[in-house]
Amino acid sequence: MQIIENSKVKEKLYIEKLENGLTVMIIPKPGMLKKYMIWGTNYGSNDNKFIVPGEENITEVPNGVAHFLEHKLFEQEDGTNSLDTLTALGVNANAYTTNDHTAYLFECTDNFYEAMDELMDYVQHPYFTDENVEKEKGIIGQEISMYDDSPEWRVYLNTLEAMYNKNPVKIDITGTIDTISKIDKEILYKCYNTFYHPSNMAIVISGDFKPEELLEEVKKRLVPNKPVGKIKRIFEKEEEKIVKPEIVEKLDVSNPIFTIGIKDIKGENDCDKKWIVKKQISMEILLNIILGRSSSLYQKLYKNGVILGTPSLDYEFGKDYAHVLITGVCSEPRNLYEEFKKRIEELKNNGINKEDFERLKKMIYGSYVKEYNDVQDISRMFLSDYFKGICSFDYLEEIESINVEYLEQLLKDVFKEEKMVISIVENE
Amino acid sequence: MEYNVKQIKKGIKIHVLNTDKFKTNLVAIFLTTKLNRENVTKNALISMLLRRGSKNITTQEEISKKMEELYGASFDCGLDKTGDNQVLKFYIETINDGYLPKHSENILNVALKYLFDIVFNPYIENGGFKKEYVEQEKNTLEKRINGKKDNKSIYAINRCIEEMYKDNPYGLYRFGYVEDLDKIDEKGLYEYYKYLINSCKIDIFISGNCDKGIEKIIEADNNIRNLKERTADFIVPNIEKENNMEEKIVNESMEVTQGKLVLGLNLNIDNNDEKYIALMYNSIFGGSANSKLFQNVREKAHLAYVASSNYYRFKNIVIVNSGIEISNYEKALELIKKQIEEMKEGKFTEEEIENGKKGIIAAIKTISDEQDTGVTYYFGQELSGTNVSEEEYIKKIENITKEDIINVANKVKINTIYFLKN
Repeated sequence: MQIIENSKVKEKLYIEKLENGLTVMIIPKPGMLKKYMIWGTNYGSNDNKFIVPGEENITEVPNGVAHFLEHKLFEQEDGTNSLDTLTALGVNANAYTTNDHTAYLFECTDNFYEAMDELMDYVQHPYFTDENVEKEKGIIGQEISMYDDSPEWRVYLNTLEAMYNKNPVKIDITGTIDTISKIDKEILYKCYNTFYHPSNMAIVISGDFKPEELLEEVKKRLVPNKPVGKIKRIFEKEEEKIVKPEIVEKLDVSNPIFTIGIKDIKGENDCDKKWIVKKQISMEILLNIILGRSSSLYQKLYKNGVILGTPSLDYEFGKDYAHVLITGVCSEPRNLYEEFKKRIEELKNNGINKEDFERLKKMIYGSYVKEYNDVQDISRMFLSDYFKGICSFDYLEEIESINVEYLEQLLKDVFKEEKMVISIVENE
Repeated sequence: MEYNVKQIKKGIKIHVLNTDKFKTNLVAIFLTTKLNRENVTKNALISMLLRRGSKNITTQEEISKKMEELYGASFDCGLDKTGDNQVLKFYIETINDGYLPKHSENILNVALKYLFDIVFNPYIENGGFKKEYVEQEKNTLEKRINGKKDNKSIYAINRCIEEMYKDNPYGLYRFGYVEDLDKIDEKGLYEYYKYLINSCKIDIFISGNCDKGIEKIIEADNNIRNLKERTADFIVPNIEKENNMEEKIVNESMEVTQGKLVLGLNLNIDNNDEKYIALMYNSIFGGSANSKLFQNVREKAHLAYVASSNYYRFKNIVIVNSGIEISNYEKALELIKKQIEEMKEGKFTEEEIENGKKGIIAAIKTISDEQDTGVTYYFGQELSGTNVSEEEYIKKIENITKEDIINVANKVKINTIYFLKN
């Protein structure tokens, strides 16, 4: 296995790409009792339009298939459910779907190999019937209703709706009651066979292990698979401009919730990976300079009683999108939005304070170090970064290279008023 | 992990969890005081107010900057209801010096000084807290209290508990009440703060790879030296019984798509050892994906996405939590009640018991692998006045039999059925 070592957090990554195309990553944590295994496929709610390797025509599937598949994979032909089997082993098992990947995981202290047997068995053996697919629609329907009542989820989806015209990132991961009603077992098998090929997947394991021995255990449990060609994913070209500057939704909330979105031009497909890492860190520093806890703008808004607690500041990017999301609870979101834009103009004109920059750079460095405390955080981070083509250690290394001038450039390139939207959820 | 506790003065203890498993050091200060209607809002306000500034670091902006400078030491406050106590929690998490890009002064020691100053040496003007800060925090707290309806699932659970404990401190909302805010001013609140600091139970936790002399450093701190010894005014969780009561049914309407059905159950157990059995009871009943609730309400009847239960060991209650279609109320309630009955009849297998044990034991074993879990565990022990090691805990779980669980199941009574609909 290839070993990548990081001197900052003093951790090692063992990585190997197997013959069938599967990538295995192991981060040993000597002395830890907890063990974590996650198996992900580079397939999420965004992948609705694609060409199956070997075919010529485009396949288009209803929204929500990736998430539906996640639910259904637990069901076994012998009538058992793998989630029950894993829980019975005393391990904590789960699965989740994001815009760009789906992952199956468990955390345990004992029975690791028994759990690994089950996880690797169920991910490799789908069993869908007309009946079990129908049944799942009821459960997922309740999951969708639960999110419908969540103001945080509504404000998020509306922000994406305001920014994107065609990009599937704006679609609800679960799909809607309407779209999931169109899902059947043929669609599930087709998506499974396309995206659950080892060459489109990665396993990450963290805990007290000897990596080489563990790798053999993984190999033993893999079913033979023929190599296939590349999946062609089809994303319609998204325009640079936003769809609408504001979306307001009325819900029963005591205080308005807002999200400011800024549509950025490029997704990861267009860029060099080191550049993405550098941009990600820089955006985090920059957002904290503008509206972080120590920023003059936040302090002002807090003292005036306008904002309730620090807003979350995120920069997100995927295969063909990138955006800023600032979310918080605020009694006067429109006022905050104006102040925010004013502050950005000030920073563009006056430049960034060097002390603020150095201090917040230290803070962001610390936040990356903290990710290495827990086997779960480590494994999830390495998996999701891997699907973006990034090794998580890069963040710790790239941070040194960032300077004020680069931040000031980003401020001009990304924080343009015509690319900004605001989404508000408030009371009638 | 090595755990040491030392009483430095009557009512004040330092707990050190020495471990090299983490990249971080965690410091926590817990102020524990009796929960009551008179002080609940004041305590909430104080926990928010102290973040605004101390004598030496006078503004929130300055506090934030100091934390950022320490490689993003995270400073956080919390407010918990633990049994009949209110606990004001203050945390600082710092990066261990070994993982800094370049050598700098001992971050933990600097962070400790800041934290002590924030909690024990607040910013004072004219014999009271700063008026401006108090007014602003009252405003923020009011919004926060009004925000309790925003998350419908949590709101429904809180409402059910409130109904169960109508005339009991545990029914109080941990952030207090809007109508109390008017009566609070900066001088009166400061007087109360002094009373609180002199009478509450104080526990200081440090978890991480810290110097052997860390207790000495803490004891030598001026803010700690100024603390008086006290007979701490808090309530040791006790076994309560609630037998002669009618099943209460409470319906409430709000704008929701999904109904929230919450049941509050009393576990009328007889002694502390039965708490371990109660934990097992909950695990089989609704505590995991293998549980009767999850299997029957979600997997077999497809009535809910969430169908689970939680055991509140400080009050010996189990809260059942489910999100259902509103028209399915009768069906879901009947099904949940059926699971309660089946537990009494012993309709669960040895296998389910074994699985439940494995789950709980795995959770106990992670205590030393998670910094905050470790602190929470030992604080729970401290409050209960018990000293059960992780090994003993596991032994107690292993020894539970089916008869034990049936016995506890038969002490379970439904106290309140709460339904949030539209």
